Amino acid sequence: MTIREAWRRALGALGLGPSDRDLDGELAFHRDMLEADARARGLDPRAARREARLALGGGTQIAEAWRDQRGLPLVDTLRQDVTYGVRMLRRTPGFTAAALITLTLGIGANTAIFSVLDAVLLRPLPYPNPDRLVTIGDRGPEGFSQNVGFATIADFRERSRSFDELALMRGWGPTLVVDGEAQALEAVRVSWNYFQMMGARPALGRDFTPDDDRPDHWRVLLLSDGLWRRRFGGDPSIVGRVITMNDREYRVVGVMPPSFEPLDAMRYFDARAEVWAPLGYARGGDSSCYGCRHLRGFGRLKPGVTIDRATAELNAIREQLRREHPTDLDTGTVAVVPLRQALTGLVQRPIYVLMGAVAFVLLIACANVGNLLVARSVTRRSELALRAALGAGRRRLVRQLLTESALLSLGGALLGVLFAVIAVRGLAALAPVALPRLEHVAVDGRVLLFTVAIAIVTGFVFGLLPAWRGAAADPRQSMAVDGRGSAGGFSRARAILVVVDLALAMVLLAGAGLMLRTVEAVASADPGFRAERLLSAQFSLVGQAYAEDSAVRAFQARLLEKLRAIPGVESAALADQIPFGGNYDCRGFHVQGRMKPNPEDDPCIERYGVTPGYRGLMKIPLVAGRDLLDSDTASSQPVLLVSQATARDVFGADNPIGAQVRIGGADRGPWRTIVGVVGDVHHADVTVPVTPAMYVPEEQFTDSFLVAVVKSGTADASSLAAPLTAAIRELDPKVPVTKVAALPDLVVEAAASQLFVARLLAAFAAIAVLLAAIGLYGVVSYGVAQRTREVGVRVALGARPGDVLRLVLSSGASLVAFGVAAGVAAAVAATRFLDSLLFGVSPTDPQTFAGAALLLAVVGLVAHWVPVRRALRIDPARALRAE
Amino acid sequence: MLLLGINMSDKTDVLQGTLDLMVLKTLDTMGAQHGYGIAQRLQQVSNDVLQLNQGTLYPALLRLEQRGWIASKWGLSDNNRRARFYSLTRTGRRQLQRETDDWRRMAAVMARLLGGEGTP
Repeated sequence: MTIREAWRRALGALGLGPSDRDLDGELAFHRDMLEADARARGLDPRAARREARLALGGGTQIAEAWRDQRGLPLVDTLRQDVTYGVRMLRRTPGFTAAALITLTLGIGANTAIFSVLDAVLLRPLPYPNPDRLVTIGDRGPEGFSQNVGFATIADFRERSRSFDELALMRGWGPTLVVDGEAQALEAVRVSWNYFQMMGARPALGRDFTPDDDRPDHWRVLLLSDGLWRRRFGGDPSIVGRVITMNDREYRVVGVMPPSFEPLDAMRYFDARAEVWAPLGYARGGDSSCYGCRHLRGFGRLKPGVTIDRATAELNAIREQLRREHPTDLDTGTVAVVPLRQALTGLVQRPIYVLMGAVAFVLLIACANVGNLLVARSVTRRSELALRAALGAGRRRLVRQLLTESALLSLGGALLGVLFAVIAVRGLAALAPVALPRLEHVAVDGRVLLFTVAIAIVTGFVFGLLPAWRGAAADPRQSMAVDGRGSAGGFSRARAILVVVDLALAMVLLAGAGLMLRTVEAVASADPGFRAERLLSAQFSLVGQAYAEDSAVRAFQARLLEKLRAIPGVESAALADQIPFGGNYDCRGFHVQGRMKPNPEDDPCIERYGVTPGYRGLMKIPLVAGRDLLDSDTASSQPVLLVSQATARDVFGADNPIGAQVRIGGADRGPWRTIVGVVGDVHHADVTVPVTPAMYVPEEQFTDSFLVAVVKSGTADASSLAAPLTAAIRELDPKVPVTKVAALPDLVVEAAASQLFVARLLAAFAAIAVLLAAIGLYGVVSYGVAQRTREVGVRVALGARPGDVLRLVLSSGASLVAFGVAAGVAAAVAATRFLDSLLFGVSPTDPQTFAGAALLLAVVGLVAHWVPVRRALRIDPARALRAE
Repeated sequence: MLLLGINMSDKTDVLQGTLDLMVLKTLDTMGAQHGYGIAQRLQQVSNDVLQLNQGTLYPALLRLEQRGWIASKWGLSDNNRRARFYSLTRTGRRQLQRETDDWRRMAAVMARLLGGEGTP
C-alpha cells in the first residue's frame, strides 16, 4: 500500500471518502445500461433485468468489497466495536459508574505518584552530561561527614587525573537591606570553576575567573535570573554595579540564565541559591586546613572514568597526603557519589515504596473491575451466544469484550488524569521540604504516556479473563438455559479475585499501620529536651558594627533583657545553634593527656555555644557538676559542659569533670575546664543514636549566627513570634531574622519523610480497603441474588433466618479468612522494603498485623452480612418466583 | 478475492494487477469513461474470453483512484444520464507505461519458456 493510498483509506475510514450513495448511483447506471442492452437484443423486461443482475454481480458483495477498499477494515470494525461497546456500557450505568470510579482511583493514584517518581528520580539533572557530575566527601574516622577541606581538594586538583574539574561550595548568609529592612539572601560561595563544571554560563556579564577567587578579591557576585528581575527590575546595566551587603561592597559581574537550576536540597546549606560569590580561600588560610571539613566538594569526571576508579585514585592520593602531612590529616576515606544520588538518595526508598503501594491499589482496582465484568458476562451469556450463533467468531467476540474493557480503562485513565492533576497539587503541599526537584512535579507528556500505557495494560489484565470465558460459552447450551442457571466456573474465578483483593488490601493496610506506628514512635520519642512551649528565631549579627566580639556580646545581653520583658515570656536564652535547627558545628575535641598521636584523629564533638539559661530552658538534665553561670564571662576561667555520650565515648569510666580541653585545634586556643555533665540530646533526628555534644558559654566562645529561644507561659508559643522578631528589629533593624519556628514543629519536620510516606500510605490503604469492600460486596450480593430462590426454598421449608445466614456466612468466612491469610504472608514479604523507613516498630510487628487482619476480616464479613440480610427480608413466595 | 476468470481454462487465478493494467490501458485508449463503458470495452476486446463479473470493477476503480492513477468526476453520459467518468492521470500514464513494459517482458519470457516445450 502506498502512502497516498493509506492516507486516502484513512480518510475513507473517517467517513471522508466517497459515499455509499456514489456507489449506488454508479451501480444503478451500470444496471440500467445493461438492461437497455439486453432489451435492445429483444429480451423481455424481466429477462433483461435478470441478465443485467447476473452480469453485474451481487450488489451486497460489491458494496462490501468496495467499502473494504474505501476504508481500513480494521478501523471500521474497531469503530463498530466502540459504538457497540459504548451502547452496552450505557445500558448498565451502575456497573459502568462502579468500574469507572474504581479505575479512576487506581489509575489516578498511579499517575500522581509516577509524576513525582519521574520528576525526582528518573529525569536527568538539568546539566550537560549530568552522569559525570559527582560529590566528593571526606569522611573522618566517625564516617559521618559529607564535606571536605579546602586543602584536600586543592591537592586532589593537582594530583588526580580522573576529573575535568573539581569545585567547592560553602554556605553563606549575606543580607540585603531594602527599604530599611534586612532581607537574608539564599546564597553560596563557590570556587571560580563551579559554573564551568556544571556546564553553565552567565546570560549577562561574565563568569568568575581565577583572579576573583582570592582572599582579598572575592567580593564579586553572580545573580540568579529571579533575583535580578525581582530586586533589580531586570535592568541590564546591573553588570558592574556595586551592591552593599553586610556593610561591604560587592560588584555584580553577571546574571545566570533562568534555565540554570541551583543545586537543590543540599542538606547542610539548604541552597536554593540566588546569589553566588567566589569562595576566596587560599592555602594556609584559617579555614583552609585538611580537617576544616565545612565545604561541599564536587567534581566532573573525565569521559569514561568510573566512580570506582575515581574513588580508588582519590583514596590513594589521600593516603599519600597523610604520609606527607602526618599531623594534619586524620584517618578517613574519600567518598565519591553520583550527584543525582547525593541529591535524591534519601527520598528514593519512600518514593519507590509509594509507587509499589499505588501499584497494589491498581491491582485491586483491576481485580474489582474484572470481578464486575465476570459477573456481568454471566448475565450477558445469552446475548453473546446469540451473536455467536449469528456467525460472530470467537476472536471477534473476545475483541468486542476487550474493546469494552479498553473503553472502561481509557475512561478511567481520562478521569484518573484529572484526579492526578488535583492530587499532585495536594502532594506538593504534603511533601517534605527535603523532597528535591519538587517544583518539577507535573502531569506532563511523559506522565500521560505512562498513564496511557498502564490504562492499556489494565484493560487487558481485567478484561482478558472475562472476555475469554464469556466468548467460550457454547451457543446452544447458553441459549437453552436462557442465561440463567449455574455458573460454577465463574464463581471460582470470582473467589480467586476476592482473595486477591483482600490479600492486596492486607499488604497495604499492614504497611500503612507500620508507618503510622513509626510516626507515633517518632512523635513520642524523647529528643533529650522538652520542646513544648518553646519558640525559636534565627538571626545573624554581621557587618562592621559586629566586627568585635564585644559588640556581639553587648547585643546579646541587651536582647536577652528585652526578651525577658516581653509579656508571656517565661524565660529566654540564646544559642548559636539548637537541636533540629538544621545546623551543625562539629569541632575537634582535644583532651589534655588523652590526645591521639595525631590529634586530627581526636573525636569530633557537636558544639553548642549557649547563654547560661539555655540548659534550664530546654530542660536538659544536669547529671553531674554544675551548670554554666552568669559568672562564666570572657575574663573568667573558660569552662564547658559535656553530654553523657561525650563523657562515655572520651572518658569511659573516668570522671570528666575537671579535665582540660582544647576545641578546634590541639595547639591553639585556651584550655577549657569541664565543669558539668548533662543529658544527651538528639541533634537532628530522633531515629538515629544521640550525637555527643558539648556546651560552651557564648561569653567565652562568641558566635555571630544565633538562635533566640523563648519559653511561653501558655501552651501556644506561636503568639510570641511577632514580639520576638520585633525585639530583635528594635535593637537593630539591619539584623536579618531568618527562621521563626516552634520547637515541637521542628522535631516533627525532622520526621517529614516518614510522615509523608505514612500519610500517603494510609490514604492508599483506605482506598484499597474501600475498593476491596466494594468488590467483595458486589460479588457477594451477586452470589446471593443468584441464590435467592434457594434461600426462598429453605425459608419456605422452615429454615430460620439464622440458619441461612450461617450457611452463607460460613462459606464467605472461609473466603475472607483465606484472603487475609494470603495477605499476611504477602505483607511479611513486602514490609521488608519499609525497613529503612521504620522506627520503633519491627517490619513484622504482630500487633499491627493483627489489627490490620482484624479490620479486614470485619470489613469482609460485613460485606457478606449486608446482602444476605437483604435477601432474607424478601418474602419466600416472591423469592420462589424470582426466576 | 476472485476478480476475473478466464473462460478457456479451469484456472481462475490471474496475475495480480492484470485488471489494473487492463483498466488503465482502456482509459488510455478511450479517454474518460464510466464503469459501464470500461466493462463493455473489456468484454469486447477479449471477444468474451474474459468472463468479467462487472461489479468487481468498482472496488478496483476505487483502488486505482486512491493510488492517484486515475481521477473521477460525475458527468452526463451519451444518453443524458448522470454517470461517474474515470480518466487517466499523469502518474497513471507513467504507471501504465511501467506495467506495460513489465507485462511485455513477462510475456516474452513466458513465450520463450512455453515455445521451448513445443506447445503452441
